[in-house]
Amino acid sequence: MREQLEQMRQQVVAAIAAATTEEVLNEIRVRYLGRKGELTGLMKGLGALPPEERPKVGQLVNVVKDELEGAIDAALTTTRDAATAQRLATERIDVTLPGRRRRQGSKHPVTLVVEEVSEIFAGLGFSVAEGPEIEHDWYNFEALNFPPEHPARDMQDTFFVENELLLRTHTSPVQIRTMLKQKPPVRIIAPGTVYRCDSDATHSPMFHQIEGLMVDSKVSFADLKGILTIFTNQLFGQKTGVRLRPSFFPFTEPSAEVDIACVICGGSGCRVCKQTGWLEILGAGMVDPEVFRHVGYDPETISGFAFGMGIERIAMLKYGISDMRLLFENDIRFLKQF
Amino acid sequence: MKVTYNWLKEFVDFDLAPAALGDLLTMLGLEVEGVEQVGGGLDEVVVARVVAKAQHPNADKLSLCKVDTGSQILDIVCGAQNFKQGDTVALAQIGAVLPGDFKIKRSKIRGEESCGMLCSEKELALADESAGIMVLPPELKLGTPLFDALGLKDTIFEIGLTPNRADCLSVIGIAREIAAKLGTPLKMPAVAVPQGMEPASKHVGVTVHDPAGCPRYAARYISGCSIAPSPAWLVNRLQAVGVRSINNVVDITNLVMMELGHPLHAFDYRQVAGGQIVVRKAAEGERFTTLDGQERVLTADDVVICDTERAVALAGIMGGLNSEIKDDTCTILLESAFFDPPTIRRTSKRLGLHTESSHRFERGADIGMVPLALDRAASLMAELAGGTVAAGWVDAYPAPRQPVSIRFRPQRCNEMIGIELSAERMAELFRNLAFMVATNADGSLQVEIPTWRVDIEREIDLIEEICRLNGFDQVPATMPLAAVISDRPSRHQQLQRLVRDHFVAEGMNEIVTFSFIGPDGVDKLGLAGDDPRRGGIRLCNPLAEEQSVMRTTLLPGLFETAARNMSFRTLDLRLFEMRRIYVPQAAASMPAEPIWAAGLISGPRFSEAWCQQPAVVDFFDAKAILENLFEKLCLDDIRWSDEQPELYYHPGKACRILCGDRLLGTLGELHPAVQARFNLERPAYCFELDFEALVALSGSRRTMVPPSRYPDSVRDMAVLVPLELPAERLCSCIRELRLKELEHLSIFDLYQGDTIPTGYKSVALRLRYRSIERTLTDDEVSVLHQKVLNTMVKKLGVALR
Repeated sequence: MREQLEQMRQQVVAAIAAATTEEVLNEIRVRYLGRKGELTGLMKGLGALPPEERPKVGQLVNVVKDELEGAIDAALTTTRDAATAQRLATERIDVTLPGRRRRQGSKHPVTLVVEEVSEIFAGLGFSVAEGPEIEHDWYNFEALNFPPEHPARDMQDTFFVENELLLRTHTSPVQIRTMLKQKPPVRIIAPGTVYRCDSDATHSPMFHQIEGLMVDSKVSFADLKGILTIFTNQLFGQKTGVRLRPSFFPFTEPSAEVDIACVICGGSGCRVCKQTGWLEILGAGMVDPEVFRHVGYDPETISGFAFGMGIERIAMLKYGISDMRLLFENDIRFLKQF
Repeated sequence: MKVTYNWLKEFVDFDLAPAALGDLLTMLGLEVEGVEQVGGGLDEVVVARVVAKAQHPNADKLSLCKVDTGSQILDIVCGAQNFKQGDTVALAQIGAVLPGDFKIKRSKIRGEESCGMLCSEKELALADESAGIMVLPPELKLGTPLFDALGLKDTIFEIGLTPNRADCLSVIGIAREIAAKLGTPLKMPAVAVPQGMEPASKHVGVTVHDPAGCPRYAARYISGCSIAPSPAWLVNRLQAVGVRSINNVVDITNLVMMELGHPLHAFDYRQVAGGQIVVRKAAEGERFTTLDGQERVLTADDVVICDTERAVALAGIMGGLNSEIKDDTCTILLESAFFDPPTIRRTSKRLGLHTESSHRFERGADIGMVPLALDRAASLMAELAGGTVAAGWVDAYPAPRQPVSIRFRPQRCNEMIGIELSAERMAELFRNLAFMVATNADGSLQVEIPTWRVDIEREIDLIEEICRLNGFDQVPATMPLAAVISDRPSRHQQLQRLVRDHFVAEGMNEIVTFSFIGPDGVDKLGLAGDDPRRGGIRLCNPLAEEQSVMRTTLLPGLFETAARNMSFRTLDLRLFEMRRIYVPQAAASMPAEPIWAAGLISGPRFSEAWCQQPAVVDFFDAKAILENLFEKLCLDDIRWSDEQPELYYHPGKACRILCGDRLLGTLGELHPAVQARFNLERPAYCFELDFEALVALSGSRRTMVPPSRYPDSVRDMAVLVPLELPAERLCSCIRELRLKELEHLSIFDLYQGDTIPTGYKSVALRLRYRSIERTLTDDEVSVLHQKVLNTMVKKLGVALR
């Protein structure tokens, strides 16, 4: 019996060594180690052995069985690995072929700039306010200290609608609506669509602005400069130079135009900045006491600043867009790039 | 407003190169928008002397000259006859490039060498016509560039003035700013009028009937003038600042206006009946011909300058044709007046007549400048036109202007600006601006404003002056001290972003079209005659008819965009726009401006690729975009109803989208007729959504359903149903059973064909069963599946296929 066992062991080891496929190995397992297999058959012969021999031989059978199981498993792993390796060796794709891409959508550059600017100001505690585009003359002009017949109205060519309504020429009326609704402190920005009757490569009859307003008990012109410096540095990169220079808006006093160091040439002078090294990006100033009076705030106890910027202007600078009309032609070949 | 470097130098001393001066002006709020060099690039044209002149051996009309440039003697061939040996001339040396890109080269003319060219004024663009070459004054230094020698080199600044700075509409105004900034004195022109014996009042009388419209009217009487062309310096100076030369007298009035900022008018005295000036309001409907030859119809709001019989000028705007200076004019009535700004503005605007004069008066001229302007012009008329100025002047100024005096608190200024200047320094800055300053008992300053600063009326205006003159660059950048405010974006704002992000995630490109559209947009959509969307708000002054109506629907803009892209062969389109529409409300209310979203898809379902089967988008691609959106917005109760879709859709491939009873929008294939009217080359599927309704109905986040840990069991069934039965009815019928073991239900096939009876379709459903509590047995699943089938058979009359 021991010899039989040893013979079978050697037989099986040889068969495993000769086997090259999974099928053959599985057959070997069934033939020898299965329920009706030869080794199992041999086990049945145990009963014929003397009782004192039985445990020893039984143990031996188990040892052989375990050994053979292990050998088959090992061979199976080797064979499988070999088969896998062989399959992998034959399977090859051209990885340079383009992927099965889903179509990518895009936001309009105007939206992108509004979202970015809004985020920057949200971080500074400014919330977003809105107002109507078809606006009453009082909010658009009068409350902002543009008296009727004032030449300053010429600065903004206006589209009129009947009954003293007009298309707002700037987002500044949102200042008025906000201040009429709430008491100080106020900290808002107001992105929106505005209109002026003017149309060429640098003017569109419809365009977008973002207005900003901060009113509190002790807000200064220096604070305006601080906020705008932070804003421009966040939008155009750290250390973007900022310059305020005197200007005029009826609703602010003092008023400033805000220039940044040209983002194209870095300030050395180029076509975009007309050789000045500076790019005008927004108008700003301290809220005029007359405006506070119109909304019932006391200019002796509070102060504030306001600013407004053209979104198209910023989009054009950020993305190198040369002609404003591209923004409203909505050519997919243009829009896809954002 | 144009001003030149040399002209400014006459009024203020400064040691700044043109570029530095430009920066200084810009930083004062006088933005330099353009800089132009005149007389540059012609340095090769120099002063030279003809030392010898002889006949050209081979040409009758040419002469051979020897010309001294101070450093060498050159041979020059010349064709002009108007000069002689010893004359000083303008020589263009070899290498010079004359106006018109005319290069001077060494050449041989009829066999004789010429090393340059003697120039005429025309060749140097100094005159339109010229007879012969330029003969220069003999004292000019040989060899100096001609334009330097003649003082023609200059820098012209184009300044973009803000409307508040009327005081800077003149050379003196800008010089005053430079002087204030540099702390140097302004050099006022010394004017000495050589006056005759006769008093002006003997010839001229002034009566002002409208002192509100004309607070001051002064006049001088100048006789014996000869009208002639202006001397070159005057022509050049006016030309440099953009004023065309007319004749000496008119040019003088323009020169004084440019120099001192005060508009003047010269009348032909012969045409002023009785020498009497009467200033009055025009009669309603009065007709008057201005000197541009246009007849104007006036109103009772306009102010006219009249003689005893008729109007002779439209006050402050333009003179009359009847009294303009003519070639034979010899006696002049010179007006220097001040008119009420709003009156001038109203008249100028109504008549569409904008002149240099009205531009200044409507912004506010300097009432204190009236006498000086008058005298400066009179003295020039004596000098340049040979006139005799009568003694004195007539001045109707019944209520002399009281100077404005303002209390100014230095502390408030420092707080407002965020700087720390002493009161003394502020007072000094005011004095530099020629403001009078006194100190009040409480330490505040009392500042008296000169008449030219019509923009300064309040303390805040003075604060601005301090900030401006001290320098905006001297203001530090600080951060405000403010209370913390917590204010998240509103739900409306958050959802706008969510919906936009959704469309972008669906591969759509956002477009932005004009809010105003053409009135034909709604016609092209084929809207019914009584459709309220036809009542869009019209602009009173549109730029073009196709931009004249505020849109009541986003679709025309969307379709026009699609058509334009298709015309460029971009046929793979997925567009959306999410912006306002403008809906008129009952009288006296502001229009409503709700946000809508509209989308359009057309073309291939996938980008053309080696790994994709070509397919074209259809209704269900568009619908999927919305289904995904509604799921994101937690809108559960959505119905897709094919009742009453819009007329611009294919009647069989369109639906209304309802949530409960509220209409959320519509979806469909574009009607071929509408497609054709908008020139869309390919079929398109589009949708419109009322964003405001989405916001109102969108739910909050659902509570989580835990996923089951037990195996599922998937069963299919195909049922025959009448063709007209919406598939949704099958699904809702099953859902109404509320089987908690039914995890998922889908329609995976739809079939009509040979094996299906006419009038029926086969719908294949796949149901996935799974329990949250345990593994379902086969029998349990069969019972559930049978229950589903039985219910559909009973409620909908379907048959198992």
